[in-house]
Amino acid sequence: MTDPPDPPAPLPQPPGEAARIGQQNEADLVAHALAGDRAAFGTLVERYAATARRVARAVLGDPDDADDAAQDGMLSALLKLEQYDPRRPFGPWLLRIVANAATDRRRRRTVRRVEPLDPGLVAGGARPDRTAERRALAQRLREALAELPERRRVAVVLFDVEGYSHAEIADVLGIPEGTVRSEVFHARRRLRALLGDWKEDA
Amino acid sequence: MKQDSLPFDARPDPVIGAALRRALDPGDHQRFVARVLARAEQLRTASWDAVLAGWARVGVAAAMIVALAAGYLVGRGGTAAPGRATVPDALLAPSTPAAPVEVVFASVIGN
Repeated sequence: MTDPPDPPAPLPQPPGEAARIGQQNEADLVAHALAGDRAAFGTLVERYAATARRVARAVLGDPDDADDAAQDGMLSALLKLEQYDPRRPFGPWLLRIVANAATDRRRRRTVRRVEPLDPGLVAGGARPDRTAERRALAQRLREALAELPERRRVAVVLFDVEGYSHAEIADVLGIPEGTVRSEVFHARRRLRALLGDWKEDA
Repeated sequence: MKQDSLPFDARPDPVIGAALRRALDPGDHQRFVARVLARAEQLRTASWDAVLAGWARVGVAAAMIVALAAGYLVGRGGTAAPGRATVPDALLAPSTPAAPVEVVFASVIGN
């Protein structure tokens, strides 16, 4: 996996309460997009691109594959816009399509492209500066995430990174809310252990 | 960092969230957005092309049917039975002489 240069802080996403506040606005945007308003669809893409890419990357690992899947999902959503129920939040509806697109792509992928870990990182070698340290931690987190079952990865990313509620994640993944809680719990336990080890190493 | 004593905490963990966000963020947000919108535009154009192509196919099919029908009618007209008179022919044709029976019947009445 490639590690991109430190990106600028991503735009804040509208999770949880914020998503509900913006729900009406999003229903309007969808209605405009359905009527052929390109700017309205552009606003939706702008708003959800980062989340969609992270969710796809949680499923696929590889950033290029993830971007392709996120794009497929968003375009698929554009084609299915008339199926969206404006009484429900737009985010979970869109992310369900994106997650499905990523899962489909992972199933189709015959050769899994995984770049080997940096040997110095595996050996816990010296970390010359803070940027390198952050990159190394990010790499270890991605590796740890890749060890988790797919559903668990998506659940913890949607909950802890994107701020969606358990109910919304249940909607995205099509599983009971209690199962979402359990998946988030197990994922966190693994990731906390990793972060704890990292702090001790540091 | 939070402990596992709250396994089903309903709030996001900011430490895990921030670390995961950094780990998963692919960067170049605007470039990705532009890419998706460009592809969406291509899809729109492609769908219009498909509609127009569909209309064109229907038009070609209809033209072929009309041409075939016209050809059939023209061909049929050329090989029509020669004994069949048209309305102008019937009007212009000389009147036929009365039959002998009618002449006899008229002479009987006259007597």
